[in-house]
Amino acid sequence: MTYIVKTNQLTKVFEGKEVVSAVTMHVKKGEIYGFLGPNGAGKTTVMKMLTNLTKPTSGDIEIFGEKLNDRSYEVLKRMGTIIEYPIFYENLTAKETLELHCEYMGYYDKKEITHVLDLVKLTNTENKRVKDFSLGMKQRLGIARAIITKPELLILDEPINGLDPVGIKELRELFKMLCKEYGITIMISSHILGEIEQLADTVGVIKDGRLMKEVSMDAVNRSQSNYIELIVNDGKKAAFILESKLNITNFKLVDDNCIRIYEMTASQKVLSKTLIEHDIEIEGISKKTSSLEDYFLKLINGGVTSA
Amino acid sequence: MEVSLVLNLMRLEMKKYHIGSYIKRAVFANFVILAVIFMLIFITKVEGDVDFRTYQTALGIIDSFVRAVFIIFASVLIAKFIIGEFKYKTITVAFMYPINRKKLIASKLAIVVLFTFSAIILSTLFITAIFCAVSESFQLLPDTLSVSLIIQRIPAVIMNAVSASCIALIPLYFGMRKYSIPATIVSSILIVSVVSSNSGNFTLYDIIFIPITLAIIGISVAYLSFRNIEKIDI
Repeated sequence: MTYIVKTNQLTKVFEGKEVVSAVTMHVKKGEIYGFLGPNGAGKTTVMKMLTNLTKPTSGDIEIFGEKLNDRSYEVLKRMGTIIEYPIFYENLTAKETLELHCEYMGYYDKKEITHVLDLVKLTNTENKRVKDFSLGMKQRLGIARAIITKPELLILDEPINGLDPVGIKELRELFKMLCKEYGITIMISSHILGEIEQLADTVGVIKDGRLMKEVSMDAVNRSQSNYIELIVNDGKKAAFILESKLNITNFKLVDDNCIRIYEMTASQKVLSKTLIEHDIEIEGISKKTSSLEDYFLKLINGGVTSA
Repeated sequence: MEVSLVLNLMRLEMKKYHIGSYIKRAVFANFVILAVIFMLIFITKVEGDVDFRTYQTALGIIDSFVRAVFIIFASVLIAKFIIGEFKYKTITVAFMYPINRKKLIASKLAIVVLFTFSAIILSTLFITAIFCAVSESFQLLPDTLSVSLIIQRIPAVIMNAVSASCIALIPLYFGMRKYSIPATIVSSILIVSVVSSNSGNFTLYDIIFIPITLAIIGISVAYLSFRNIEKIDI
């Protein structure tokens, strides 16, 4: 497996407080890695460390297979980034901003400027000063700046902040396209689960500076079981009937009245018919799906085992 | 290679901050200095002050003025090119480029120093020329201008420019402490009040020990402020 980003026990202490604790994460080549966590969880600090803006207190970072140190400047050429919120030299126009960026990055295809502004839907704003841009437009320009040099790794910290729903959708498509067609590895942070869910191949969940879980979306989807929930007057008796008459074994007696059946062999109709035939009163029967949201909320709130 | 990289960085920095607008302001400052000098002469004539009667004194006053103005001007450049980058966090953009942080800062400091140096030399030349021309044609001073006096002043002017452009870095220390633009500019005004105070024919700057010490302090401040720049968190 080729990892573009790998951290090992990455820790950052600010004024005696551990804001990032022993984070060990892995971003695979060519994937979209969603970095999910509530505000103040340490997402930005991790991303700042990955871009060498902030130096780790302990632990180490490998990017493109190279260990990052204070003087790792060359790797920055292969990265495009937005950290915290897009920051610009506000007196420059959009075009000047991108021109200067290209020069500093050592990238000389000036034709790209128009192309990339089109990509982020900022057409006809080349000569407008950045200080006259709205937050959404700045966000788009920030993305344009990050992708103009066709980097191998994009690090985007909350890139959809300040965008309207249409804008969010457009950018989502753009990120997917960049990943698929240009093979760019994207690491994207957000506190909005829905966003990550729709984009990411792998999700890293961070809370209080700790990486709670790192899991592929496929695995999450697989583990999401549907079940039928039964509310009956006598749970124990119902359980016995399920086992003996219907051969259902994969169920759970939640309490005296509630049973969850994870096997979908028998339809709700058959279930209710059989139970009624055996004198069990059914107060409720419903099919349930435990959503991804539950899964992640459980992780974040409950503090399940760390990855 | 190293030099050409820094030169290129300086070019980009100047582009980024539209250096042209600062050149315009420097030219404007020249006219203000000229106006003040002529006003001074006018006042001394009315008041019958005896101090301000020789070219020696007049040229000394021009030096002091130019030095004062461009040390403060340098602090504005420092505020804009360096302190402002930290204050408004644009330094995060600059430091995400594949460019050595030290070289990036060096290029900024070089712009401040070179700008101040050239501004002092050119302004002194310009103001002295205009002043002498006007004063000769209207007999403003009872003294006569001699070529030897002018030649004699050349090394002093160059020394003045060199030391002033190093002294101009001292405000960096005050500005970098809390990334404060007012602190940068106020400290430069304080420095100016020390080095350019002119009481009659005497300024502190004339004690050669003082400008040299201050210049060394300026260079050390610049060095110490950025010695660990590669290790700091942005």
